[in-house]
Amino acid sequence: MRPLLAHAITRRAASGPDSGLRGQPLEQIAGGELALWATRWDAEASLARDDAFAHHDLVVVLCDAGACLPIRFGTWLADEAAARRSLEAEQDRFTSAIDRLEDRREVAVTLLWHEPETAPSAKPVAAGEPAPEPTAGAGGPGRAFLEGRRTTYVGTAERRREAEALANRLAAELATDQGDVRHETCPSSEVALSMSLLARKDEADALKARAITAVAALSGVRGVVSGPWPPYTFTEELGSGRGG
Amino acid sequence: MSGPLAALPDEELTLLDLADRLLNRGVVITGEATISVAGVDLVYLGLNLILAAVETIEQRDARRR
Repeated sequence: MRPLLAHAITRRAASGPDSGLRGQPLEQIAGGELALWATRWDAEASLARDDAFAHHDLVVVLCDAGACLPIRFGTWLADEAAARRSLEAEQDRFTSAIDRLEDRREVAVTLLWHEPETAPSAKPVAAGEPAPEPTAGAGGPGRAFLEGRRTTYVGTAERRREAEALANRLAAELATDQGDVRHETCPSSEVALSMSLLARKDEADALKARAITAVAALSGVRGVVSGPWPPYTFTEELGSGRGG
Repeated sequence: MSGPLAALPDEELTLLDLADRLLNRGVVITGEATISVAGVDLVYLGLNLILAAVETIEQRDARRR
């Protein structure tokens, strides 16, 4: 039997889309009060970029039809029976998440630093090339090395403080409930903040408009506001997922 | 501004944001029913998304020249 590529969990539905990724059959597998939607997939075919976005399109359709829990892309299930057992075993957890996220959408805010952070030792070291010796200063090479390390650390800490301040400012301006916000500061040298905001479906576009206005008022960063999307970031309770 | 992300227009950054959510978030099904979640192929897929986005910019710039 061919494996299943999972897309989303919903309450049991009388009907829904019947075509999955690449035109393959879309299965609705019932387990208790819930249903898991999955494409029956040819084991020989590997996933590609377009499949990720096709998965998203399918999740959007399912979430527009009713309460829906998006499943992480790339989740494979052995067969229908195994999927059913998994649904039944975690019925309470999934039901609770579906109830919490019913008619909710996610708006994403990403802030990029105007100037990415760089280490104070400006000259990059090529692969295979030995690292340069620390310059001997008034206190010798050891002291110069430690001071360089300290400067890097202070710079990073300063960036984190700035990013946290930006996160707090946006959360205060945009979120009515702080439980509806997840964020990660400085996930890379270029990115100051990756934030997700949860909103009621009928209020998501208004939240996005307010977010666009809010990020435009920030200095030192470029802001990009995206969505609304299905609530990918909020499928797990606060503290068990990423960011927070 | 410098760095690979800085060169991307908002639309491409939005796609990267979406790809990050598809690959790294969403409910995780645990237990014996799950064959795998993510893995090496998806790490490659994530990188591929970034490279494709940067490539799009380069092609657009080349056409302008």
